Amino acid sequence: MPVVRVPELTWKEKLKRFFLVDLIGGLKLTLKFNLGALTDKDAVAGKGIYTEQYPKVRAEVAPRFHGAPRLNMDPETHETLCIACNLCALACPEDCIDVIPMDIEIMVAGKGRKKKVLDEFIFDTSRCMFCALCQEACPTACLELTQDFELATYSRAGFVWNREMLEQGRETIKYEA
Amino acid sequence: MANLLALFAPPNVINELLQRLSLSPETINYVVWPFIQIGAVVTAIALWALYATYMERKISAFMQARLGPMRVGPWGLLQPIADAIKLLTKEDLRPDKADPYIFFFAPFISVAAAFIVFAVMPFGPDWGVITDINIGLLFVLSVSSVGVLALILAGWSSNSKYALLGGLRSSAQMISYEVSMGLALIGALMFARTLSLSGIVQAQGLDSIWYIFYQPLGLVIFLVSGIAENNRAPFDLPEAESELVAGFHTEYSGMRWSLFFMAEYAAMIVVSAMATTLYLGGWYFPFLWRIDHAGYHSLFVLLSLVVFIAKMVVLLYIYFWLRWTFPRYRYDQLMDLGWKWMLPAALLNIALTAFAVFTVQALDGWHGLKTIESLTRGVNLTWQGKVIMVAFGIAGLFIAAAMLSAINWRSRDFNLKKQRRQVRLVSPPQGQPAVAPAPSES
Repeated sequence: MPVVRVPELTWKEKLKRFFLVDLIGGLKLTLKFNLGALTDKDAVAGKGIYTEQYPKVRAEVAPRFHGAPRLNMDPETHETLCIACNLCALACPEDCIDVIPMDIEIMVAGKGRKKKVLDEFIFDTSRCMFCALCQEACPTACLELTQDFELATYSRAGFVWNREMLEQGRETIKYEA
Repeated sequence: MANLLALFAPPNVINELLQRLSLSPETINYVVWPFIQIGAVVTAIALWALYATYMERKISAFMQARLGPMRVGPWGLLQPIADAIKLLTKEDLRPDKADPYIFFFAPFISVAAAFIVFAVMPFGPDWGVITDINIGLLFVLSVSSVGVLALILAGWSSNSKYALLGGLRSSAQMISYEVSMGLALIGALMFARTLSLSGIVQAQGLDSIWYIFYQPLGLVIFLVSGIAENNRAPFDLPEAESELVAGFHTEYSGMRWSLFFMAEYAAMIVVSAMATTLYLGGWYFPFLWRIDHAGYHSLFVLLSLVVFIAKMVVLLYIYFWLRWTFPRYRYDQLMDLGWKWMLPAALLNIALTAFAVFTVQALDGWHGLKTIESLTRGVNLTWQGKVIMVAFGIAGLFIAAAMLSAINWRSRDFNLKKQRRQVRLVSPPQGQPAVAPAPSES
C-alpha cells in the first residue's frame, strides 16, 4: 500500500468545511440548471436542455453525412438519370451494387438503333460502408447518398434495395412534431 | 364581484343541503362532515403522491438538462396516470418461500401509517382541518413511527437477502433519526406551549412570526432527520440500488410495490407538512386575515389552504433538490451523522432555546425594556423581544456548529483518521513520487 503524506488542512480549508461551502456550491449548480431549463425560450434545443425528442424532432446530421442511397431522376421529365454505365458498381469496394441494363430500340434520325438503359438497380445496404465512392464515380449525378439515416428493417432481405426503393425512397413512419 | 366571491362558500352550501336531508346537527358535525373531509384529503393526498412522482421526474430531468416525461399528454402530464394503470394491472408476484400473510399485510401497514397522520394535519383554519386533538404532535410522531414496522415486516417476510438487509438498515436508520427529530420539535414547542397542531399555527399567528426565525437550528435538524427518516437520498441506504437492488421492496411488484411507493411519498408530505406547521407558520400568511375581517370567510379558508400547500411544495422541492445534488452517504457516516451530530445538536437546541426564553423573560422590565406581550397562548413577544430571540436563533446555528465540530474533532481522530491520512491519495505534491519513503520508526 503506498504511503502518501497528506498535507494538514489550512485554516481556509477548515473554514470552507465549517460553512459547508462545497455543499452549497453543488446545490447552486443544480439550481442553475433547473432554472435554466425552466426559463429556456426554446425548451427543446436551446441551451437549457440538451436532449432531442428524436422521433418527433429529427436530428440534424452533418452536411457531409452519407446515409441512405437514392437514384435521382430528371426533375422535369421524371426519367431516371442513370445511363447504366456500371461505373458505380466498378467503383464499389464492397461489391454491393448490381446494375442490370437492358437494350431498347430507339429511332435516331429515321434509323433504328439499340440503346442501353437501366432495367434494375440492386443496392445492398447491409454490405455498404457508406464511403460514397459510387457517388463520386457517377457521371450524371444520379446515385447519391442522402442524409436519411433510418435504415433499420425487420429482415435481412429488407436491406437489399431495388430500383423502386432507390428512386421513391423507403417508407418510414413520420411522427408529428 | 360579491356574487363571484359567494361561489367560494362550499361548506355553507353543503350544510344547507345536509339540513334539508333532515339530519341532526350532531350527525352532520361528527359523522357527515368528517367523512367528506376524509374523502377529500385521502383523494388529494393519493393524487398528490402520484403527481409528486411527476414533479420529481421533471425536476431531476431539468437538473440534468433533460426534458423528462413528454409523451403521455401535453408535457407528459398524464404520465402518472399511465403509470398507475400499468401498476394496477401488473401481476402480483410473491416469492415461493415468502411468509404469505406478512408479505400481504406489510404494504397496507405502511400506507395506513403514512395516511392516518393527515387526520390531524392543520391544512387550514376552520374546516381546513379534519380533527384537532390536543396531543396532535405526539399522535403524528407515534403513528408515523409505525411505518418502520412495515418496512421490517416487508424485509423479513420476503425471504430474500437484499430485502432483509434493506429492512434492517431502514429500521436502524429510522429509529436513530426519530430521536433527534422528536427532540428538534421541543424548541418550537417552548414557544407554542401546546401540542395541538392548530394551536401551534395559531400561536405563530398571534405572535406574528414564523418559528423558523426563532428556531433555524431546529428546522435544519428536523429537515435532515425527516429526510433520513423517509429513507430519501442522500440517506437512501435502505434502497441503495447499487448495493441492495431495491432494499425492502425488492420482491414486491405491481400494486403492492406501488403502495410502498405511495407511502414513501405520503411520508414525505407528512414531514413537509409538519415542518410547515411548526416552523413556517402553517396556513398563516401576512395580511391574509383582512379577507376574513372583510367577511369572506370561505375565501379566507381556501386561500389559507393554498398558502399551506405552497409552503409544502417549497419544502418538497428541497427534498428533490437535495436528492439530485448529493451522493449517498456511507452507512457508518449515516450513523455518525445521526448520533454524533444530529442528536447532540437537538439537545443543544433545547438548552439554547430554554436559555433564550429565560433571558427574554429576565430582560422584561429591565431598564424599561419590554420584551413580552403575553404568555397566555404561546410566547407573545414585542418587537424588542423578537429581535433578541432571532439573534439567539441565528447565534444558535453557529454555536451548535462550533461545539459539535469541537466535540467530534477528537472522535474523528479516534476513527482511524491518522491512518487514513497516511494512505489517502489527496493531491500528492508536484514533482515528487507518490510513494514516500517508509516512516523510520525502528
